[in-house]
Amino acid sequence: MLRDGNEGMSTIPGFSQIQFEGFCRFVDQGLAEELHKFPKIEDTDQEIEFQLLVETYQLAEPLIKERDAVYESLTHSSELYVPAGLIWKVGRDMQEQTVFIGNIPLMNSLGTFIVNGIYRIVINQILQSPGIYYSSELDHNGISVYTGTIISDRGGRSELEIDRKARIWARVSRKQKISILVLPSAMGSNLREILDNVCYPEILLYFPNEKEKKKIGSKENAILEFYQQFSCVGGDPVFSESLCKELQKRFFQQRCELGRIGRQNMNQRLNIDIPQNNTFLLPRDVLAATDHLIGMKFGMGTLDDMNHLKNKRIRSVADLLQDQFGLALVRLENVVRGTICGAIRHKFIPTPQNLVTSTPLTTTYESFFGLHPLSQVLDRTNPLTQIVHGRKSSYLGPGGLTGRTASFRIRDIHPSHYGRICPIDTSEGINVGLIGSLAIHARIGDWGSIRSPFYEISERSKEEQMVYLSPRRDEYYMVMVAAGNSLALNQDIQDEQVVPARYRQEFVTIAWEHIDLRSIYPLQYFSIGASLIPFIEHNDANRALMSSNMQRQAVPLSRSEKCIVGTGLERQAALDSGGSAIAQHEGKVIYTDTEKILLSGNGDTISIPLLMYQRSNKNTCMHQKPQVHRDKYVKKGQVLADGAATVGGELALGKNVLVAHMPWEGYNFEDAVLISERLVYGDIYTSFHIRKYEIQTHVTSHGPEKITNEIPHLEAHLLRNLDRNGIVMLGSWVETGDVLVGKLTPQTAKESSYAPEDRLLRVILGIQVSTAKETCLKLPIGGRGRVIDVRWIQKKGASSYNPEKIRVYISQKREIKVGDKVAGRHGNKGIISKILPRQDMPYLQDGTPVDMVFNPLGVPSRMNVGQIFECSLGLAGDLLDRHYRITPFDERYEQEASRKLVFPELYEASKRTANPWVFEPEYPGKSRIFDGRTGDPFEQPVIIGKSYMLKLIHQVDDKIHGRSSGHYALVTQQPLRGRAKQGGQRVGEMEVWALEGFGVAHILQEMLTYKSDHIRARQELLGTTIVGGTIPKPEGAPESFRLLVRELRSLALELKHFLVSEKNFQINRKEA
Amino acid sequence: MVRKEVPVSNRTLQWKCVESKADSKRLYYGRFVLSPLMKGQADTIGTAMRRSLLGEIEGTCITCAKSERVPHEYSTIVGIEESVHEILMNLKEIIVRSDLYGTRDAFICVRGPKYVTAQDIISPPSVKIVDTTQHIASITEPINFCIGLEIERNRGYRTRTTNQDASYPIDAVSMPVRNANYSIQCYGNENEKQEILFLEIWTNGSLTPKEALYEASRNLIDLFIPFLHAEERDLHLDDDQNIFTAPFFPFHEGLAYIGIGESKKRIALKRIFIDQLELSPRTYNCLKRSNIHTLLDLLSKSQEDLRKIQHFRVEDVKRVLDILKKRFAMNLFT
Repeated sequence: MLRDGNEGMSTIPGFSQIQFEGFCRFVDQGLAEELHKFPKIEDTDQEIEFQLLVETYQLAEPLIKERDAVYESLTHSSELYVPAGLIWKVGRDMQEQTVFIGNIPLMNSLGTFIVNGIYRIVINQILQSPGIYYSSELDHNGISVYTGTIISDRGGRSELEIDRKARIWARVSRKQKISILVLPSAMGSNLREILDNVCYPEILLYFPNEKEKKKIGSKENAILEFYQQFSCVGGDPVFSESLCKELQKRFFQQRCELGRIGRQNMNQRLNIDIPQNNTFLLPRDVLAATDHLIGMKFGMGTLDDMNHLKNKRIRSVADLLQDQFGLALVRLENVVRGTICGAIRHKFIPTPQNLVTSTPLTTTYESFFGLHPLSQVLDRTNPLTQIVHGRKSSYLGPGGLTGRTASFRIRDIHPSHYGRICPIDTSEGINVGLIGSLAIHARIGDWGSIRSPFYEISERSKEEQMVYLSPRRDEYYMVMVAAGNSLALNQDIQDEQVVPARYRQEFVTIAWEHIDLRSIYPLQYFSIGASLIPFIEHNDANRALMSSNMQRQAVPLSRSEKCIVGTGLERQAALDSGGSAIAQHEGKVIYTDTEKILLSGNGDTISIPLLMYQRSNKNTCMHQKPQVHRDKYVKKGQVLADGAATVGGELALGKNVLVAHMPWEGYNFEDAVLISERLVYGDIYTSFHIRKYEIQTHVTSHGPEKITNEIPHLEAHLLRNLDRNGIVMLGSWVETGDVLVGKLTPQTAKESSYAPEDRLLRVILGIQVSTAKETCLKLPIGGRGRVIDVRWIQKKGASSYNPEKIRVYISQKREIKVGDKVAGRHGNKGIISKILPRQDMPYLQDGTPVDMVFNPLGVPSRMNVGQIFECSLGLAGDLLDRHYRITPFDERYEQEASRKLVFPELYEASKRTANPWVFEPEYPGKSRIFDGRTGDPFEQPVIIGKSYMLKLIHQVDDKIHGRSSGHYALVTQQPLRGRAKQGGQRVGEMEVWALEGFGVAHILQEMLTYKSDHIRARQELLGTTIVGGTIPKPEGAPESFRLLVRELRSLALELKHFLVSEKNFQINRKEA
Repeated sequence: MVRKEVPVSNRTLQWKCVESKADSKRLYYGRFVLSPLMKGQADTIGTAMRRSLLGEIEGTCITCAKSERVPHEYSTIVGIEESVHEILMNLKEIIVRSDLYGTRDAFICVRGPKYVTAQDIISPPSVKIVDTTQHIASITEPINFCIGLEIERNRGYRTRTTNQDASYPIDAVSMPVRNANYSIQCYGNENEKQEILFLEIWTNGSLTPKEALYEASRNLIDLFIPFLHAEERDLHLDDDQNIFTAPFFPFHEGLAYIGIGESKKRIALKRIFIDQLELSPRTYNCLKRSNIHTLLDLLSKSQEDLRKIQHFRVEDVKRVLDILKKRFAMNLFT
């Protein structure tokens, strides 16, 4: 689109826009909509009437700033004020007052909420759109059975089906089906009306006997029959008002409410015109649906594809918040009704304000954000993670599917996902395909449809119009796949061209003239994560999936670096993540500092506060570094400070390192990675991690707990960092086991409560029995670091006692080490297996030692060839000091386009730097390299290059764990599980077999007795290790041994335990 | 050493600096030639030199910064643009040249507003800062900025974590050689092949490539010197040669009483570890702690020695004696 100016130029919509638009929709429309539903409330004597005057509701500006809310663990919310009127019917006068209804949590510009100091995000849910869907299935005789499924607004389903005898049934519960005539009759139609409204009355009038006929004789009978079948009760229920009400509640409200979208879909599908405000299922719908079903049976009409996106809708933040708001208003209504009656009874004259309380709304939102499965804690590992999280779409959650039961079909990619939901980016594991990611250009339109933009190519004008199409509409167009070809560059030559296109879920190749629409961007159908992968077209989709997931796990490094080879989306990803500080308007920088930047412009000075070593919820470090200098002028939108993992406003998750793909002494067997010491001492992969440790004081039955620095139980060495109050000093270096907060819990001094050896030690060492137990906050294993912040939060308690909460933040610097996980951007991941000195690493012909050595076998079977292209082009870019931003799918221009792009660059680099080894025509991209230990060249030329490698959050320091002794589960008496609980490593069935197979009897015995559930042996062991002496042989069999015996018995091997008496040789059998 | 006469070039081995340049204050480059070498020699020298240059050269750098006023690395000082951590990272970049071993103290004491560079470091005369333009901090307010520095000469790198307060360790990287490479040029005819060795050295400026070359060769020579001396006779390695675990025990001299004829028995004794004596854990631990691992070690001790071991009781000694008597019919040296 080489046009004058930028008008009509498409830009990628802001990545957090989807969330933000949703919230705006809620504030603009949702609030008013729900408030309008609020009824007028009268008291029982109908003397006064309460109503909300909805037109002028107000949201007040929040009292606290976002940053303060995070710091003080509060909710960033706005107060909702609605004018309310109280009409005295007797006096006919009205008292009007603006009342405070409650707090509504506010979304910030990044699409997140701050609830109790925690960033939370509400992800979009994909639901089956309400309406009717026809499908056919083969029954066990191989005859197709046609069903029409009516899906209500809340997800309830009822089915109409026609069997091979052309009988029509309505299936209202899983087991029972009823005759189709019962359903409209129960809804209130009589037989005449029914028969008048259908096309094939003769089919409907098929009754097996007279009894059936009687059932639909009257509405009461029909309801009775319906109730009987629906709730599966036997006997003869009697028609009653309560029965009718129950049915109303359980069936008609749950299964028949279509909502506005449902009504529209129904009208469209069944070709009827019922007014939009009729949001419930009507007898006419049922009859029209029956007609269609019969038509289906005779081969008329088309079946529906449930998985097509046109049959799905997005339930966004707006809908979820609106639902909750509605719920809160209902609760409020009940409260008002209660207080109004109470007030009248007590002869107390109410005002609108004291009728209304703020609790229903506030608590509703609190529980929504805290408990709803779609409200999640924002994952903030790195900037990319943050934006991707808000763009997720989930099939899970209330009204949706569950991971265990969802079918394969629904998880699969559907042609209608094109440009809407990314075919690559989804989670791995049980939720695969259920949690997707929206494509970068996708938008959420009205009625919850996902829209994707296309250029409309019209005959009349040369102008290309951009249209956002819903999935329902782009079915009928010829859509050209992927923007461009040469067309994007010169629009004049467009005749005689055959282009690939998409038409009704099929891919066809047709002439250019027949094309109606054109995609706008080659990456249109990918999510952010997938579009950050260069050369993605050369990667297997599975590996691309892993890559898009792993980029989200990259740890921000202490010094980030831009990628040499990228796709060009890095800038927007970094910008929209809000990680870096951006100038709101142009101006002059007056002052910079690590804490703030003062910018003057437009006549006033604003202070831009910067993030300082903040902890993210994944313990990574968020920090902003000023990039502008004093007395410099900045433009609007210029980057003032780079955040974590951003450099110059571009996303920079990893580092460009020199890699070689070759085996090295087996140290890169099975995806292990060999690295050079340079990555350690050069701080290449050094990251900061900030951990939070928290302790709270409680009141016990013996009195309140006390925070003090006098802990007689512990050595002075462990307490060295405590200040006078018993809290660790800021800036002190703490090691594992050190006390962070000294706390004593009062306790009655009872001698017997101590273990015998403990008592003995006390007597020997002369320690006074303390009246308190130490319950200090100690630094757990691997937590060493510098205390960078201590917060003392005092809450207002219910009684005179104020519980205290102390948070200690400890920062750690972590270099890369053996056991850390590293990954590239092509799903090539591995664990560091060895760190070699730089002189031992293989070196290039100019003497440069390689930084990482990968296994070449990791490439062919994984089919992620993109890494090879990236590697070679990266080397060229490094030598030429160039950065490449490559839009993927250049292969469609010509054959081997990527190769043709990479090799000339390498050649140029080779020429420019006079290094012939960079490009050798016999083996382009490869080079002969040498063993650093011997100086011998390796047998084969090896691929070398610069790859962009990420260090992932899975680090050994967080995982390494061992246990010699520890706690046991109370019930099973087996060691606890998990690292956090000092748990043991499970010796499972297979592990026992291995021990058996190797015949290591002692280890096996140890595992099954002392270390497991043989309680007595375990306790004796403790005694003997303290006193000294040989460990006693355990007596009796533990449960695990019994299991072993039973296993042997099941192999027909009898294992028995006999006791033979020495005196009379009597045999006593013992149960083993 | 008897060897057949090999035709040797009558030219003596010579080296020459072919190229030398300083790209910047922190990047020196030098290319050296060594010739004439006989076939294969160039590789021997080249590999050894490269490894020695990369791994053995010592360097000096700032290892620690001290300041009383700073609460921790992740804090800021009012009036300074950089955070403390950034200042430490900048200090790490400073390249120092010094020939003296041991810790040297240096300090920075300036008053703002000012751009503090490496030039402002006040260091002892033996220490020279290579690139004085290295930025350290920019002070924007009139405040005093005082930090103490420790400068140390070392080899390789180390990452330190101390628990001293008010002192902040800097991960020291003392690797003055940035990169080294060698290449070999062959010349000569079929039966008389000769080689030229080219050595390329890039240093960080704290020493010139020539100095690096000198130091690397010195290091190599030091490593080879032991071979030039006569073989050490009094090393008690002679009869341990077939045992692959030959750790030196500090009390080896005590074995002198055992005659040479008994050497076979000694080997046997040396192979019996005290684990096999079925001692009580306490006794076992005590023995282990005092470096008694094998029966030989035990036999070399007197009863008196055993009694002196910490936590070792008289009963234990008795028990050990019993076991020795019962099992091996041996007694301790009294």
